[in-house]
Amino acid sequence: MPKHYRPAGKKKEGNAAKYITRTKAVKYLQISLATFRKLCILKGVFPRDPKKKVEGNHKTYYHMKDIAFLFHDPLIEKFREIKVHRKKVKKAVAKKNKDLADRLLNRPPTYKLDRLILERYPSFVDALRDLDDCLTMVHLFAALPAVEGERVQVQRIHNCRRLSHEWQAYISRTHSLRKTFISVKGIYYQAEVQGQKITWLTPHALQQVLTDDVDFNVMLTFLEFYETLLGFMNFKLYHSINVNYPPVLDPRLEALASELYALCRYMSSGIVPGNSESAKLVEDKDESELRLAQLQHQLPSNEPGALMHLVQESTAADVEDDDAKECSSLFKNLKFYLSREVPRESLLFIIPAFGGTVSWEGEGAPFDETDEDITHQIVDRPTQSHVFLSREYVQPQWIYDCVNARIILPAEGYVVGRVPPPHLSPFVDNSAEGYIPEYAETIKKLQAAARNQVLPLPSIGDEDMEKTLVEAIIDRSASNEVAEKKRKLEMLEQQYHDELKMEYEGKTYSHMKSDNQSDVVDNDSEAANNHVDDSYKQAEKDAADISKTVMSRKQRGLLEAIEIHHSRKKDKVNLLKKRKKNAESSASAKGR
Amino acid sequence: MGHSDGDHDDLSADDSPWSEDIWSDDNEGSLSFEDSGEGSDAESDETDAPAAEESDSSEDEVAPRNTVGDVPLVWYKDEEHIGYDISGRKIKKRDREGRIEAYLRNADDAKNWRKIYDEYNDEEVQITKEEAKIISRMLKGKTPHTNVDPYPDYVDWFEYDDKGHPLSSAPEPKRRFVPSKWEQKKVVKLVRAIRKGWIKFDKPKEEPNFYLLWGDETDTADNKRQGLSYIPAPKPNLPGHEESYNPSVEYIPTQEEIDSYQLMYEEDRPKFIPRRFDCLRSVPAYEKALREGFDRCLDLYLCPRTRKKRINIDPESLKPKLPSKKDLRPYPRTCYLEFKGHNGPVKSLSVEASGQWIASGSSDGTIRVWEVETGRCIKVWKVGGVVHRVAWNPQPDRHILAAIVDHDLLLLNAEIGDEEVQMRTKKLLHIEELAPEEEETGDKKPAVKWVNHDKFDGIVLIHHKAVSTVEWHFKGDYFTTVVPSDILYGVCHVSFLLFTCSMCDLGRITNIKIENFLVQDFDLPIAMSYSNGTSHSECCFFTLSLEETLNLIVIYLKKLANCSILNSFLITNKFDTFSYNRARCPKQ
Repeated sequence: MPKHYRPAGKKKEGNAAKYITRTKAVKYLQISLATFRKLCILKGVFPRDPKKKVEGNHKTYYHMKDIAFLFHDPLIEKFREIKVHRKKVKKAVAKKNKDLADRLLNRPPTYKLDRLILERYPSFVDALRDLDDCLTMVHLFAALPAVEGERVQVQRIHNCRRLSHEWQAYISRTHSLRKTFISVKGIYYQAEVQGQKITWLTPHALQQVLTDDVDFNVMLTFLEFYETLLGFMNFKLYHSINVNYPPVLDPRLEALASELYALCRYMSSGIVPGNSESAKLVEDKDESELRLAQLQHQLPSNEPGALMHLVQESTAADVEDDDAKECSSLFKNLKFYLSREVPRESLLFIIPAFGGTVSWEGEGAPFDETDEDITHQIVDRPTQSHVFLSREYVQPQWIYDCVNARIILPAEGYVVGRVPPPHLSPFVDNSAEGYIPEYAETIKKLQAAARNQVLPLPSIGDEDMEKTLVEAIIDRSASNEVAEKKRKLEMLEQQYHDELKMEYEGKTYSHMKSDNQSDVVDNDSEAANNHVDDSYKQAEKDAADISKTVMSRKQRGLLEAIEIHHSRKKDKVNLLKKRKKNAESSASAKGR
Repeated sequence: MGHSDGDHDDLSADDSPWSEDIWSDDNEGSLSFEDSGEGSDAESDETDAPAAEESDSSEDEVAPRNTVGDVPLVWYKDEEHIGYDISGRKIKKRDREGRIEAYLRNADDAKNWRKIYDEYNDEEVQITKEEAKIISRMLKGKTPHTNVDPYPDYVDWFEYDDKGHPLSSAPEPKRRFVPSKWEQKKVVKLVRAIRKGWIKFDKPKEEPNFYLLWGDETDTADNKRQGLSYIPAPKPNLPGHEESYNPSVEYIPTQEEIDSYQLMYEEDRPKFIPRRFDCLRSVPAYEKALREGFDRCLDLYLCPRTRKKRINIDPESLKPKLPSKKDLRPYPRTCYLEFKGHNGPVKSLSVEASGQWIASGSSDGTIRVWEVETGRCIKVWKVGGVVHRVAWNPQPDRHILAAIVDHDLLLLNAEIGDEEVQMRTKKLLHIEELAPEEEETGDKKPAVKWVNHDKFDGIVLIHHKAVSTVEWHFKGDYFTTVVPSDILYGVCHVSFLLFTCSMCDLGRITNIKIENFLVQDFDLPIAMSYSNGTSHSECCFFTLSLEETLNLIVIYLKKLANCSILNSFLITNKFDTFSYNRARCPKQ
């Protein structure tokens, strides 16, 4: 009798009982595959990898518990109802029973996803953790063309736009944006909300083409969930800063397609209709203090523990806010003006998020181009016709680089008509990668210079003076670095000598003579050093190989994989260095 | 005047039978009616006036002058008349002009292209400009007059509404004046449905969509997720420097590198090729944005998720700690003994089983036996050829030395140890008188010839080709030789004086070793051969059963560098498990 044979009537055990293939699951649930997909997407059920794939390797397996979870969901019944309703309408139309068809169409069965959201994300932080995909998707759909007759309803796209703006307004308002990055794919943002890093991608504000190679049913089902999720998230977030949620926007600004600005205004006005008291709570800090005071009032006076707890909480919040403070004051006292051709929505989001004031060319703008207080004008065109001397004309990349570096970078590299310095990703850990781009180093120096700066320089109008000062600081830091390098080198040399000495002590007799001979010359001659070094390396390598033969196969495989990974990384870095060298040499050749 | 003109035009267009040949003649003269007519508009009207009047009167009042009827005119070809007028008088034919005259007249006349010969009435008709226009329109397939609407709106004069069929005379049906029972039933149904609230007329109220979903955060027990543990999907990779719209120069591959990507396998090819844009405004929309979003969606709901432990380990920690060389001290570092005596390089060494003796073979043509402790040379054989290999019989009471000299194998009596042992060894090596007997019995030429050595106390195995190695079985009963060029395994059973040879072609084999496996009751020697070459990374095992058949087991190994491990593996395995192992090894 083969091992896997099980007599009829005996129940399954182990993986065979725990996991079920997709086809069987669909049959078990008595729904169509499309409905199953939709259900899986909405409920967040995903296939799992059983240890032993009983039905074959090429099938997808769902956990039986997940399927049972789907089975008991009222959504299944709702989907059936919708199907029936659709059939009824079809039948009524076919029989020319217009009344009935109208009546049916008026009341289609609807379902709500709030229960599902709470089920999937029982706490708010859980939802925040999983928000990346949601935001990316909503922003992607917000950028799609809102054209009637396309595969995506116009209303959905408008809803996505609204939600994304609401989210951005919150982030901007609370100054929780941390990093930005303009990539070819779009603009990446990273914000920190309640200690969770949330990264999302917004496409460039250009017309996207609806391609045929995607299944919009799947995407729209995802979007349906994400829209609801983001709506509830926004509600919660707005609630936390004491703003009414479905924000009532200035219709004039909304018509001018500057919803974000309208939202910002709405939030900063902080008006909660019907609650005049909260209108005072404009500043977050004030608000928290007031709340604290209120709470203190409410608490019985003989409970010091609770009070202590509250105080601790507030201080903890303060500590947390350190980063936020830095972010919110980055563009303080700076006034920006956006030209027509720069990505307005992105900059309208970023600049206020870092404490700057901003206006743009077009109707509904808060201030004009002729405003004397404007410090920076963001321009992205080869030449500027009329130049105000009181302000700097910079390319939009300057804003993004400043944000990532958290300092105001010198603007001369970003002047109109010049090719700006390379835009670097803030998401890369350069030291771990093993290669630091040149510009990253200069930014680091500038940062160091800014940190060491004793007196702030915002009041100095004279740019030259500022420049020289910065340069001086850079020079100082550079000289510091040189000194450090020297010290390091010395240390290395010392270490090397020590090592050599150790080596001599542990020498085999056959090498003794030659080493003794070379010892005399050693201090000066590099060749001898190299020879010794080589032989030492060889010995080391041999030792490593010996230990490799003793390892188990699994471990050896692991080790080899790691080594391959390391070598690839090294190759990559080497390639970068080579390219850099080539570029430099060609540039210098051109210069000659 | 103009009016009558128009009438005339109409009629002539209707009546005169335009034959095809006339038109074809005329067409050559006048390429287009409109163009040529334009210039001579005014004067043509004046000059044509009398003729037009004439024809007008004749055609309008006196309908067709020739009343000959529908008769082919050919019938009147030879007659003087062409037919009869209305009163029955003959209509005379006109005098025929000469062709040249006619031509000359026509050449002078600018309006010649408008003249048409009416065969029926035997006269020349000059058509007016309007007529010409009409003709041109008709030729184009249009209506003759421009003011005719070919598609007028259809006016339906009959009123269908509330008329009924005018011809029906059926009596008024009863249902016209008796209230319908079914309608009443339906109404009752609807009323009931409305009363019970099954049918609602007002639109459903819009409830606020969003509310504070996560109200109370403090209650931790309630905030636990039900069911299976949730495995969050891995987040998409964050973009590196190379994805920037303006990466630094070193991240942009050169054109050659991009070209070289085409040579790579599709899956190895980099998915993203960095590009550099001079300014932000020149960055185009990313065409794969939707596709990538969709792929992410697919990943989220189609990919099986498992929790995997990601070990972040130092690769050095994986390596087992081996004792360093320093800890192994004291190990011999000085030369203790030197065995001096050979004139050429020593090619092979073998230690006797008791460890007392060492045999060495050198290329100077000598085999020497040394005492290990003293370094004294006990015995020297001058075999007169390069000694490739020496091997002691592993049995301590059989001092037989196998040596490969040039092409052949030499079995020597080492003549060491006590008398009895020496005698036994001598005996073993001396019953070689049977060798010729064997030679006689074998008809075909044997691969190996056993011959007594003439100089020394021993046997020579003359192989037909050069031998490379010799290997003893650990019991000392068998040994094998390898002939690499044409593989031959000579197996001999020394103690029973049973000599068998087995041949097997297995490719280039450079090394051989005999192992023994206890299979049930009898022991069966198994030879293992392997070649260290890179091309044949395989290892063969075969049982050296002393029959004709040779059971061969081949095991392919990836690398044969670590043969010592293999040995231990073999020795520890019983035969049945060994065969199981063989089954597991995939044959290349």
